[in-house]
Amino acid sequence: MSSNTPSSSAGGVGSADSAAPRRNSKRPKYSKFTQQELPACKPILTPRWVISAFMLVSIVFIPIGVVSLFASRDVVEIVDRYETACVPANFRNDKVSFIQNETTNKICTRSLTVPKRMKQPIYVYYQLDNFYQNHRRYVKSRSDSQLKDNSSWDDVSSCKPEDDANGMPIVPCGLIAWSLFNDTYNFSLNNQQLAVNKRGISWKSDRDSKFGSDVFPRNFQNGTLIGGKRLDPNVSLSEQEDLIVWMRTAALPTFRKLYGKIERDLQPNEVIQVTLENNYNTYSFNGKKRLVLSTTSWLGGKNDFLGIAYLTVGGLCFFLALSFTVVYLVKPRRLGDPSYLSWNRNPGGH
Amino acid sequence: MDSKTPIENLYSIEPALSSSSRRSNFSSNSKSLGGNSIREVNFVDLGPKPVKYGSRGAESETYSMSQREINDEDARLVQINDPVKTNERFEFAGNSIRTGKYSILTFLPRNLFEQFHRVAYIYFLVIAVLNQLPQLAVFGRFASILPLAFVLLVTAVKDAYEDYRRHRADNIENNRPASVLVNHEFQQKKWKDIQTINLDGESNLKTRYAKQETLLKIPEKENVSGVIKCEKPNRNIYGFQANMEVDGKRVSLGPSNIILRGCELKNTTWAVGVAVYAGRETKAMLNNSGAPSKRSRLETHMNLEIIFLSLFLTALCTVVSVCAAVWLRRHRDELDYLPFYRRKDFSEDEEENYNYYGWGLEILFTFLMSVIVFQIMIPISLYISMELVRVGQAYFMIRDTQMYDEPSNSRFQCRALNINEDLGQIKYIFSDKTGTLTENKMEFQCASIWGVDYNGGKVSSQDQKDGYFVQVDGKVLRPKMVVKTHPELLQFARSGKETKEGSHVHDFFLALAACNTIVPIIVDTPDPTLKLIDYQGESPDEQALVYAAAAYGFMLIERTSGHIVIDIQGERQRFNVLGLHEFDSDRKRMSVILGLPNKSVKAFVKGADTTMFSVIDRSSNTSIIRATEAHLHSYSSIGLRTLVIGMRELSTSEFEEWHSAFEVASTALMGRASLLRKVASNVESNLCILGASAIEDKLQEGVPEAIESLRTAGIKVWVLTGDKQETAISIGYSSKLLTSKMTQIIVNNNSKESCRKSLEDAIIMSKKLTTMSGTTNDTWRTLGASLTPVALIIDGTSLVYILDSELEERLFELASNCSVVLCCRVAPLQKAGIVALVKKRTSDMTLAIGDGANDVSMIQMADVGVGISGQEGRQAVMASDFAMGQFRFLVTLLLVHGHWNYQRMGYMILYNFYRNAIFVLVLFWYVLFTCFTLTTAINEWSSVLYSVIYTSVPTIVVGILDKDLSRRTLLKYPQLYGAGHREECYNRRLFWITMIDTVWQSAVVFYIPLLAYWGSTIDGSSIGDLWTLAVVILVNLHLAMDVIRWNWITHAAIWGSIIATFICVIIIDAIPTLVGYWAFFHIARTGLFWLCLLAIIVTALIPRFVVKVLYQFYTPCDVQIAREAEKFQAEIQSAAVEVEMNPILDHPRP
Repeated sequence: MSSNTPSSSAGGVGSADSAAPRRNSKRPKYSKFTQQELPACKPILTPRWVISAFMLVSIVFIPIGVVSLFASRDVVEIVDRYETACVPANFRNDKVSFIQNETTNKICTRSLTVPKRMKQPIYVYYQLDNFYQNHRRYVKSRSDSQLKDNSSWDDVSSCKPEDDANGMPIVPCGLIAWSLFNDTYNFSLNNQQLAVNKRGISWKSDRDSKFGSDVFPRNFQNGTLIGGKRLDPNVSLSEQEDLIVWMRTAALPTFRKLYGKIERDLQPNEVIQVTLENNYNTYSFNGKKRLVLSTTSWLGGKNDFLGIAYLTVGGLCFFLALSFTVVYLVKPRRLGDPSYLSWNRNPGGH
Repeated sequence: MDSKTPIENLYSIEPALSSSSRRSNFSSNSKSLGGNSIREVNFVDLGPKPVKYGSRGAESETYSMSQREINDEDARLVQINDPVKTNERFEFAGNSIRTGKYSILTFLPRNLFEQFHRVAYIYFLVIAVLNQLPQLAVFGRFASILPLAFVLLVTAVKDAYEDYRRHRADNIENNRPASVLVNHEFQQKKWKDIQTINLDGESNLKTRYAKQETLLKIPEKENVSGVIKCEKPNRNIYGFQANMEVDGKRVSLGPSNIILRGCELKNTTWAVGVAVYAGRETKAMLNNSGAPSKRSRLETHMNLEIIFLSLFLTALCTVVSVCAAVWLRRHRDELDYLPFYRRKDFSEDEEENYNYYGWGLEILFTFLMSVIVFQIMIPISLYISMELVRVGQAYFMIRDTQMYDEPSNSRFQCRALNINEDLGQIKYIFSDKTGTLTENKMEFQCASIWGVDYNGGKVSSQDQKDGYFVQVDGKVLRPKMVVKTHPELLQFARSGKETKEGSHVHDFFLALAACNTIVPIIVDTPDPTLKLIDYQGESPDEQALVYAAAAYGFMLIERTSGHIVIDIQGERQRFNVLGLHEFDSDRKRMSVILGLPNKSVKAFVKGADTTMFSVIDRSSNTSIIRATEAHLHSYSSIGLRTLVIGMRELSTSEFEEWHSAFEVASTALMGRASLLRKVASNVESNLCILGASAIEDKLQEGVPEAIESLRTAGIKVWVLTGDKQETAISIGYSSKLLTSKMTQIIVNNNSKESCRKSLEDAIIMSKKLTTMSGTTNDTWRTLGASLTPVALIIDGTSLVYILDSELEERLFELASNCSVVLCCRVAPLQKAGIVALVKKRTSDMTLAIGDGANDVSMIQMADVGVGISGQEGRQAVMASDFAMGQFRFLVTLLLVHGHWNYQRMGYMILYNFYRNAIFVLVLFWYVLFTCFTLTTAINEWSSVLYSVIYTSVPTIVVGILDKDLSRRTLLKYPQLYGAGHREECYNRRLFWITMIDTVWQSAVVFYIPLLAYWGSTIDGSSIGDLWTLAVVILVNLHLAMDVIRWNWITHAAIWGSIIATFICVIIIDAIPTLVGYWAFFHIARTGLFWLCLLAIIVTALIPRFVVKVLYQFYTPCDVQIAREAEKFQAEIQSAAVEVEMNPILDHPRP
């Protein structure tokens, strides 16, 4: 009610009520923050910025693309698809029965010619196609606690339907371990055994922390249906590197797994004899099997995609930079010119 | 209430009067408490007819209560001094109040219960529950509940804080000390323990008095006993009806005899009363229903888009399940032995299917699982982000120093937290006049007495510097406010009753000093010889009149219920107040019956001209009446508020007749109000006209500029006032609402037919005017800014015929052709009716602004209600969504904060859609490569944390802090507000463009790594980490690309989020029990990883960048140009000179 009479003429007659608001004023404290006036940078896409940005991208991308492409081209790769060739002609119509028949001879010989000089280490991979290691049922079918720790050897609840056999828990349990790849390769060069180093093909972190050194295979591949490789019950899981590699499930349905390393150089036109045991059943789902020998570059294996992608994007940006330059020159607009404002553009009001 | 108060006057202030609601429509009742000031509000000319604007009828019923008698069932009996008997039948509420919703014990269940009322949360819950079914367990148990838990927690913390504040307020309220009479002794007690009193009131002073019958009781000495029979507790703060039986006599009690909760006593140190309502049953608490909840327009649009998103979600899930069905069918023979499927379980004795429930069910499960995996397609987190952003925006609006009102010491108040962004799209403003456009500080300007106009007097004479004063016992007594006086009139006033003019002037000022409900309060000053008289009362008009009377030597010194003392030219005179007919909205006048010292009895009446001329004796003094009418017309045409003063001398018989009728009426138990009105209209007749007074209602500071800004911004301003047409028009001119260039169309009719005709004529005319000038440009015309603007002036009587009839359509058509609409003499409900008229017919946003109880209905009807926390009480503020001290703050609120809020919220919604959809799409692409089995390469913790940690903070920070334009620019070019009208920041087109961009970006994120790693040794967790980081960085850089102002907080939020994501991924990959153990360290060592990341980010953003550049450069929106202008101001300065004037040219000054 003090506001009724603020214009009181009676000079300094400070009535009590008019003094009150002054004492505890609610005026908000001024600060740059509360007034939303913090110092700020206001970038605006000026033509110069835009063109420089595109140029910068193309300057960075094109060299990267070239380098990547060269890196990929440097990689020497020998790929041998053998899943059909390694089935005897009389079984070609019924490959599944061939592979499931324990008595058939699975040995198969392949010869690979080295196209270019291959510097060591040469990685030996097997490549599977159409094998969904990322299938939900499959990915889940493992027991990490069991793999790590001997005391939880019977923790197999997540491993169904490969949790126990003959009433006993399986170690390592689950579909992943059960379906362990079991083709084997033996290489010889000029009738001499070509050593394949199978140590250190898995991640060290897996060997150290995920697979226990005191966990041994138990009751493994004892069930009705044999899925793949058998494991030596006297070797601890942390040393079963094939298993460790296999259990790092692939992201995509076409994948390679490291089989071993050949630690010597191979010369062009040398012919490598591969004696392989074709045990693994990919026939029931039309899976392909390939044996791959490959060198690596800083970029990994042979894959041109990234190089091409970089060149494309770099080229596109270069093109965009050029066309924007042309466009700006042909049809410029003065930035921040108020005459472009809609109400100035519209002379209707005048 | 009541009563045994050996006290003369109780005054009350009501700081805590609460919101609510429609009943305040009947604000006119409020005036009955005191003044007869002509507020804008009254039910002009509606007479007994119910207010037309319908739909509220039922409620209004309740408030005609004062007409009704109290039935026994509806009554409450309070035994004075006998608590046992009072409470024997049922327990009345205690005095402790509780506005808090929860207690510590009930918080959890009740809060959860309330939260799950929201559909969004139910969706969350259903998904979490689905995930618990073993067949559908996509995520781990904990990970699946986390998002829901997080959402619930954030909301619960927010609710708990709000409730804590309410509890604290309750506590302060409950622990105020009070003194209570217990067994004839006063004891100090805490407020909450008291079974007594009950307060409430309005912000200005009101007289409360005890009934004569109880004045002599002294409760400490004698045992008072009696019964009070009163209404059941109700929400009507303007009505109270009860009667009291004391000493065998029945005394009736009305609103003047009750002190409501929240009142403050003034002018007395103590009062003794009987509590009738306590605690939650007090009127203040019953009215405390809080602001009504509204939903913002942006949110309504958004909900539609969310339906699109859910259709999209359904489509994705359908695609997945159909593909899964085909796959299962094609491989049905192999499933048993497939190494990665292995349907058969051999571990049991009997071979059986493991986790396979047949083709049909598998498809259903796939569908449900995909819903679980893709759940964040529906951006639930958006609702929380929006709430947080609004809180942040409200914080900045409240803290804005430019919306702080110094005189009333009030900050901006944000009462509704869910319509901030609507402020950026307002198209119509409906404004009250008095107290909103004007200050509601009345100043007496001039008078017409006995047909003579005393106008334009200069403050000339010397003694006027200090104004009139009287000396009492050597002390000087002086009115607190000085009024300029007219020298000639002053002369007459001093000359006494001797001359003819003198006697008229005497009567006139006596009427001004006596015929009111003003209470003089003597205030001490530091100077012991000087005292000031402060006139306090409910009506500012009355205050102005009493100050004026004092300036002319008729100083009101003392007022009690029985008499008044007036110092007339230095001579103290005592007048007996024999009766007082309070102001009411039907009569629109008040009268006082005075017993003069010379034993004669006179009735002084003052009131609005419309009703006064009908009760003035027109047989004599016709020339004076005509002269006065002419003066009234000229006063109101310069914007003054006028009142007509009349007088009647009562003969003894007339007085006796009146007196007995008055006695009967005022103690009647049935229909007291109508009886009193009848008595009043009997005595208020055959009046002799004394003259008319004119009061200036000053415009608030900055109102013309504000209105001009708002109109330049393309907002239509409608003024709805209770004033006379002439007054309204003149205020229209002074506030620049009307300009001399405008063509005025006035609709002022008395029947439906004539209304129809004048509306149709007006439509033709307005069309002619607008098309004539607007042929050049169509869009310009629709903006309502045609060359010859048309102003529509329509009065309340015409509106009676138009509203709620088929003529509404015509009126709307007419009004949309007009750039200004002025409605005068409108009743409160009509105000709401006009708002509804516009709201129903357009999708444009409406805003209503007002300060009084009469504006409540319109404030609640409009999309956005703004209350002015001025002098007229708190109802408007309590009912409003936003409240502020001055009308001109509206410019800052709409053009600056509204624009910002709209832009921020619009962008934030689109961005959140994009942010969630891109993640879902990346998951979806991967599912296509996993036999449609909903495996996610991105691990479940990252999925959960994605919308909680990885990307949540930047969008909220940008939603609160980003500014597209500075305050200065926005105020300089009000037209920039058009961005909100044109829905530039959020529309269907932008939504689809964003979605297309999202599909592209997600494809880039997914397919670049897919192709780069195809046929390699990459494992799921590693590529999952790549996808996670790519999405998060991309999403944050996408935001960064759109941020307009980078301050350190924005930097911290965006870069911090990316860093936080890296840290989280590292932590997750350092947990040995998870599948992805150490994956990040392996992949981050390879160059391919970083090259993929770079390629993804650049490639994904290129299309958006190109489109943005082209759009900004070749079809720049106004905001963009203004932004550039802001940045390159120096270069522009020179060019600006020529353009500067353009925005104003369209709106020529008068």
